[in-house]
Amino acid sequence: MTTEIVGGAALAPPTAIGGRRSARLRQLAPFLPAMVIIVGLFVVPLALMFVFSFWSTNENLDVVPVWTLENYQNFFTNPTYVRTLFKTMVIGAGVTVVCLVVAFVVAYFLSRYVSRRWARIALLIIIVPFWTSYLLRVYSWQAILGEHGALNQVLVGLGILREPSLLFVYNDFGTFIVLAYLYIPFAALVLYASLERFDFTQLTAAQDLGAGPVAAFRRVLLPQIRPGLITACIFVFIPILGEFLTPSMVGGAQGLLIANLLANFFKTALIPEGAAVGFLIAAFVTALLIVFRRYLRVEDVVVRG
Amino acid sequence: MDPLETMPVSRHGRAIRRAMQVGFAALIVFLYLPIVFMIVFSFDEGATPGLPITGFTLHWYEAMLNNRVLLRAVGNSVTVAIIVSILATVIGTMAAFVLVRGRIRFPNATRIAFTLPIMVPGVLIGVSLLIYFARVLDLSLSLATVVAGHLVVTVPFVVLIVASRLQSFDRSLEWAAADLGASPRRAIRHIVLPLIAPAIIAGALISVTLSIDEFVITWFTVGSQPTLPTFIYTRVKFGVTPEVNAVATVMLFVTLGTLGLAAVALSRARRMTGRSRRRRGAG
Amino acid sequence: MNRLDNQLSRRRFLQASAAVGAAVSLGGITAACNAIGQPAVQGGTFNWMTWGDHYIDTQLKAIEASDKIVPQISELAGNAEGFAKLKEVKGELDQMSGDALWVPDAYFAEGLIEPFDINELKVSSQLYPFARQFEIWTKPEGYLGYPFGWSPISIYYNVEHVTPAPDSWAVLLDPKYKGRIVIENQPEEIVAYMGKASGVDDVYNMTDDQLATVKGLLEQLKPNVLKFAQQATDSVNAMISEEAWLITGNLGNEDRVKDGGGPEIKGFIPKEGTVGWMDAEMIVKEGKNKSLLFPFMEKSQQAEYIAENFITHGRPLFNEAAYKILVDKGEGDRADRYLYNKAEETLAKTTLKGPGTSTEKSIQLFNEVFGA
Repeated sequence: MTTEIVGGAALAPPTAIGGRRSARLRQLAPFLPAMVIIVGLFVVPLALMFVFSFWSTNENLDVVPVWTLENYQNFFTNPTYVRTLFKTMVIGAGVTVVCLVVAFVVAYFLSRYVSRRWARIALLIIIVPFWTSYLLRVYSWQAILGEHGALNQVLVGLGILREPSLLFVYNDFGTFIVLAYLYIPFAALVLYASLERFDFTQLTAAQDLGAGPVAAFRRVLLPQIRPGLITACIFVFIPILGEFLTPSMVGGAQGLLIANLLANFFKTALIPEGAAVGFLIAAFVTALLIVFRRYLRVEDVVVRG
Repeated sequence: MDPLETMPVSRHGRAIRRAMQVGFAALIVFLYLPIVFMIVFSFDEGATPGLPITGFTLHWYEAMLNNRVLLRAVGNSVTVAIIVSILATVIGTMAAFVLVRGRIRFPNATRIAFTLPIMVPGVLIGVSLLIYFARVLDLSLSLATVVAGHLVVTVPFVVLIVASRLQSFDRSLEWAAADLGASPRRAIRHIVLPLIAPAIIAGALISVTLSIDEFVITWFTVGSQPTLPTFIYTRVKFGVTPEVNAVATVMLFVTLGTLGLAAVALSRARRMTGRSRRRRGAG
Repeated sequence: MNRLDNQLSRRRFLQASAAVGAAVSLGGITAACNAIGQPAVQGGTFNWMTWGDHYIDTQLKAIEASDKIVPQISELAGNAEGFAKLKEVKGELDQMSGDALWVPDAYFAEGLIEPFDINELKVSSQLYPFARQFEIWTKPEGYLGYPFGWSPISIYYNVEHVTPAPDSWAVLLDPKYKGRIVIENQPEEIVAYMGKASGVDDVYNMTDDQLATVKGLLEQLKPNVLKFAQQATDSVNAMISEEAWLITGNLGNEDRVKDGGGPEIKGFIPKEGTVGWMDAEMIVKEGKNKSLLFPFMEKSQQAEYIAENFITHGRPLFNEAAYKILVDKGEGDRADRYLYNKAEETLAKTTLKGPGTSTEKSIQLFNEVFGA
């Protein structure tokens, strides 16, 4: 935090009556609404859920204050949950890798070989799908990947397949494709913001000094965009842990992810059980965030405009 | 463009660049495939969106204009999004100033606290708010509770974006202003805010985007009022009719139109004031 | 400094006007949408949570035109989910549909619904007499719901692809049909089906031992399920497109699939027995708009609409006058095929859907098995 005298003077407290405490209050006043929202609408409700997660459900599907650790224990003793969490992480990691690779190529292309103006326009074109309904986009994928969908019709028409394949949708593959589809634009945005600031003449300089192209990449480019890469990873991987709509629409009965189990519990009034699963996911996410806290620069997400 | 910047690094530079262009085009096709389908189905005669296309009709657009609930849903969603965006931007920007310049005792912890709502699964936030509103506060659900729920996930974005921008802001401009006799408040109003405006606008835009298509939290916190995402969800469950596609298509083009107008206005503003983009102030 | 001031203010002005222009146009569009979206002055809207086959669009449009009453319909997936939702939102809903024993043992027991004198509704004279007198729905305070439809749960199979002709729940577990089954997204019922398959009679009050057996069956069922149907139309569409060869569902699907251009299918009630339901429209006690419900029901439960509903959705309903209309229209055969007249005897052979001591455990079991 800066401690310049003038900087302090910019928020200089009045030296009049009331002195430092009311001055401090006045300094913090603009922060209060945000704090009310975070504490009052986020922390407190979640704390309530936390308490619920140690309670039980009775036969009438009511939450009763019978303290138990069973909801948490169930998560670890019943292999389904850990398996589902693991599967979600695997799919999440896979989608993250695919998104990063594709987004990196796109961002590199746009930041290096395309003029600023066109790059911004291209980015906008990539972002525009965000402005349409998530549900409809996923629903359209059903039409594309289904047994009578566009993809099958093309493949059968071209003779690549003899009959329509059932393998594209209502399984993990469908979930994977659609999740990648949904998150690539986001990753591209983050990576572009990072690459935009990179001075590409450094690569030429590296070559002048004898490095091959691959080495120049590895040792000059990648380290400098590492914060952007990690931010992109975080902004893709972590939300995927909370995705349940896509798996429910294109994942079929076999494609449930951890958030589906969470949603299932809540839909059927098993709140304590659901809360426990939810907090375990949140704990996992928090752990990840703390490990990578240095790289949380959301400015990488901004489209400079 | 500076030829030095575009000079390829490797021998196969040209081929790679060509491959990238093709790859980029392929990505655009991939990204727009479902959207194209969505738009095409809105003109399809068949009652269920799906192939094959049977005929061209504007019937669904007509149905859309006659569907009261759908229009109300759109109205509600847009209203909520605007309110959320304004509130989130104001609250978030104020908080960002304090976060960066005030003396908060645990700045890093506060930053993580602001990041958490974005990272916790929406289902958990939604259910916790429902229980909180219904059982603890005994509030009845309405668009107001929806706004509250949306604020939880939009304010953090605004705070973090503006705070980042503020952090890299060159304070020397403010010192110069102080030297010239400006009070701190004037300096903020005339120097800081205009220069961090892009970050604030980005925060506002992200808030609108998040709010207008927000489904999960809305689902749990809305009363009986229809919103566009919940309407679409119900339709997806009961059987989508192309009216929904029609609405989505219209919203897409309205958004594009508004963005386009705003961009044109802004670039004209820039051109008139003679500031080239390269020559920026601080940061 | 002056020039900077000017540049900033001019730029600011243009930006501000662009922003204001955008906001004004958005505001205008919003206002227009909201204005068009308001229902007309008298009448009003109420909130109804129900299944997709409880209404037809022509019926709703006609009532809107004549009485200006417009229901806002939200999706009901299953009884447990609906019950959970109503417990949370209470007065946000006005009318709720529910099955069999869920009505007295869950909704009424929790004080969520309001009994009423069914004979106050003139249209109730069109119902079969026994439908007004179901013991489980009769309380001293009144009748718990307005009866709508009923059905036992049957299994339907694609005649061409499913051989030999099945007669038991076990067909759903046959590995031959991997990925070819579509089943309703009702966890408590899927567990009940497997309960029947394992030979249990009282499938909503199962012991832990029985549940353990059921778990094994669920695990056999899982790879066979392609996806979960959110509404009856999903199952029917899956049969029509032949994505699915086996579905569970209500009476009437053979004709629905054929009408949709699908292949020949047959339905049967498994030999181990099945679950059955009769559903009713319930009045939510704290509903803010419940005054609209009686006027709405007087219109919506009229025989013409019920008959049309049968033709569209196919499963039997409790309106006796509608049966006569169907016979007149030449649909009498179809009605008889689906046991329209035989509600009492058919339902007597089924286990009525309802909450039970094992509901919570069933849902947990389902989540466990159908996770990854």
